[in-house]
Amino acid sequence: MKLTIDQRWDLVDRIAKETVEVGTYKPGLRDAVADATVRPAIGIPFAIAVLYGFWTFFGEFAGLFTDGFFVRIFGTHWIPFLGEKLAGLPDWAFTILVGDRAVFAEGFGGDPCFAAGGILTTGLFMPFGIVLWAVLALFLMLAVLEDTGYLPRLASLVDSVLHKIGLHGFAIVPTLVSLGCNVPGVTACRPLETRKQRFMMIALLGVFVPCGAQIGMMEELVPELIGWVFLTLAIGYLGFGWVLNKVWPGESPEILMDMPPYQAPVWSNVLRKTWNRTRHFLFVAVPFVLLGCLIVMVLYATGAMDALASALQPFLMAVFGVPAEATPSLVVGFLRKDLAIGLLPIEAMTTYQVFKSVVLLTIYFPCLATFAMLLRELNWKEILYTLGFLVVTILVFGSILNLIGMAGGW
Amino acid sequence: MEKKLSEMKYEEEGIVKEIREGLKDKIAGMGIREGRGIKMMTKQPIKGPAVVAVDRANTSIGLGLADKIIVEVGK
Amino acid sequence: MNKVLLMGQANVGKSVFFNRLAGANVTVSNYPGTSVDFDKGRMLLEGKHVDLIDVPGTFSLQPKDRAEEVAVKMLEQEKDTVVICVIDASKVERGLYLALEIIERGYPVIVALNMWDTAKNAKVKTDVKKLEQILGVPVVPTVATTSEGFKELVSRMREAAPVAIEEITKSVGGDKSETHN
Ligand SMILES: Nc1nc2c(ncn2[C@@H]2O[C@H](COP(=O)(O)OP(=O)(O)OP(=O)(O)O)[C@@H](O)[C@H]2O)c(=O)[nH]1
Ligand SMILES: [Mg+2]
Repeated sequence: MKLTIDQRWDLVDRIAKETVEVGTYKPGLRDAVADATVRPAIGIPFAIAVLYGFWTFFGEFAGLFTDGFFVRIFGTHWIPFLGEKLAGLPDWAFTILVGDRAVFAEGFGGDPCFAAGGILTTGLFMPFGIVLWAVLALFLMLAVLEDTGYLPRLASLVDSVLHKIGLHGFAIVPTLVSLGCNVPGVTACRPLETRKQRFMMIALLGVFVPCGAQIGMMEELVPELIGWVFLTLAIGYLGFGWVLNKVWPGESPEILMDMPPYQAPVWSNVLRKTWNRTRHFLFVAVPFVLLGCLIVMVLYATGAMDALASALQPFLMAVFGVPAEATPSLVVGFLRKDLAIGLLPIEAMTTYQVFKSVVLLTIYFPCLATFAMLLRELNWKEILYTLGFLVVTILVFGSILNLIGMAGGW
Repeated sequence: MEKKLSEMKYEEEGIVKEIREGLKDKIAGMGIREGRGIKMMTKQPIKGPAVVAVDRANTSIGLGLADKIIVEVGK
Repeated sequence: MNKVLLMGQANVGKSVFFNRLAGANVTVSNYPGTSVDFDKGRMLLEGKHVDLIDVPGTFSLQPKDRAEEVAVKMLEQEKDTVVICVIDASKVERGLYLALEIIERGYPVIVALNMWDTAKNAKVKTDVKKLEQILGVPVVPTVATTSEGFKELVSRMREAAPVAIEEITKSVGGDKSETHN
């Protein structure tokens, strides 16, 4: 026999009356904190402090490993060493594995880690010298946040804003997860209630949320621009979310979410999660980064890159407002956006052009692994719309940023 | 006195009187039910969600949903 | 019986159970909605290997989102199964609500009163023996993070049997809901 809701609760209450005894409990510090952090007056400054701490830790941690250690290892030891040891290779092999001989002879004219370009030099430096430390830092902080129980409180706080664009406060969870890696971010959208909310969230993630690998590259290459890049992306996320909510059919029900109590993080669990995700990153990302380097170097070695660059130049100028030297970036952008940022010809561009290209590369086609997730979670119609949405976003953003650039004379 | 859950003030307590059909299904499993005590823990600004406590469990609930719950309060 | 389902509301510790019982490595986090798909593993039960499934958390059997749909579908398609219903011991009432729903559908259930440590700190005491008497199914207090109570849980799995909901109603003094409204 099945009971109605009222009958079942009636039965539960009678069972509980005979078996459960609730003593008087003096609320402690933890409860005070739990209450305070969802109250706007304290909760909002607290959230800002948490996110700021997050960011500072990220910068320090990633910087320590990258600048303090790997730039030196690669720049002064590994790359010159390879250049010497493999000097006997035929030109094409040297170009692909180590880099352009001409660049080597000239002494790189900049940072050898980026300028070399070969699979064993730049191809290894980017994932192991930069990106690994950035994603490690992000995964570690995310794991701590997840274990403390702060995320549901943050979700409740930001729901006021997110619900205005048809999303659920819970959307902050997939957003934060995506800052580590978009792949689990897409799956984390499942607890959103309706198809519409899931579609909107996945589309916004795929388009506007940069992953840890990209953030790591930005932090290394253009640290002074990151604030502006994030601000621009956030405006896009909220603005396009607002539009999508208006045009996409379906409902956006309100938040209804359980709030577990705070807990001290279980360190073994935090470390295990960080390791699992980092390992996954190494397996998924590194092969693609190496493949990307291979493609770029092959295109250079065969002269195809120059042909492609002159063919794409008018388009690049018109849409992205960047010079032809940015072609390699856009070619590998399909594979890995972190590599694409790494290949941006920073010396050949103005600061504003760099800013613009970083923003547009973030919006650019989702990486292959993320795209595979879209195929799993969305239906065909939604995927086509997501891609359409992507193209529209790039055109709109590209034009607006170009106009601003022209107006400002940058 | 009866009022909507959404009208309860911060730290006010009451007994759930009535939950509109439709919502009942949705929140039954979270412990919010007729005849049970409920306490308003927080309300977010600009019509954001409220946080309510029932039986030692906290739930964040949108104001529109909270409109559909009638609560009997002390005075 | 060749399958065991781990069911319960969100964030009660099902995935910790799963990792410990099946030697698995699925994500555990302190927010509702961590597991959004089911995970399958194997556990040793009385010398035999059986399937153990970590089901996404669901507050009731009326699903409100995609993750909860997965949970309910999982339960409906597995007929020959024992359900370990994990309840947060500091929120017994709403946990029992889901447990009753599962019992009503005729599944053999064993209840794990998890987070026994948290419940103790919060001064919530449950009379396990009495609850077991009323429900007619085994009830075992556990602390999943330290494996406390797991031995008893596993050894008592075979006591899990379907119970008629009328029996439970009778053991708390018959159905009063019809007379008092
Ligand atoms: N104190 C205490 N914490 C526990 C216990 N069991 C689990 N936890 C913690 O409770 C939180 C939730 O655990 P999970 O295993 O992810 O919960 P779940 O039931 O799988 O949750 P969903 O996948 O979201 O449905 C984690 O932070 C665990 O460390 C316990 O017995 N005592
Ligand atoms: Mg889980």
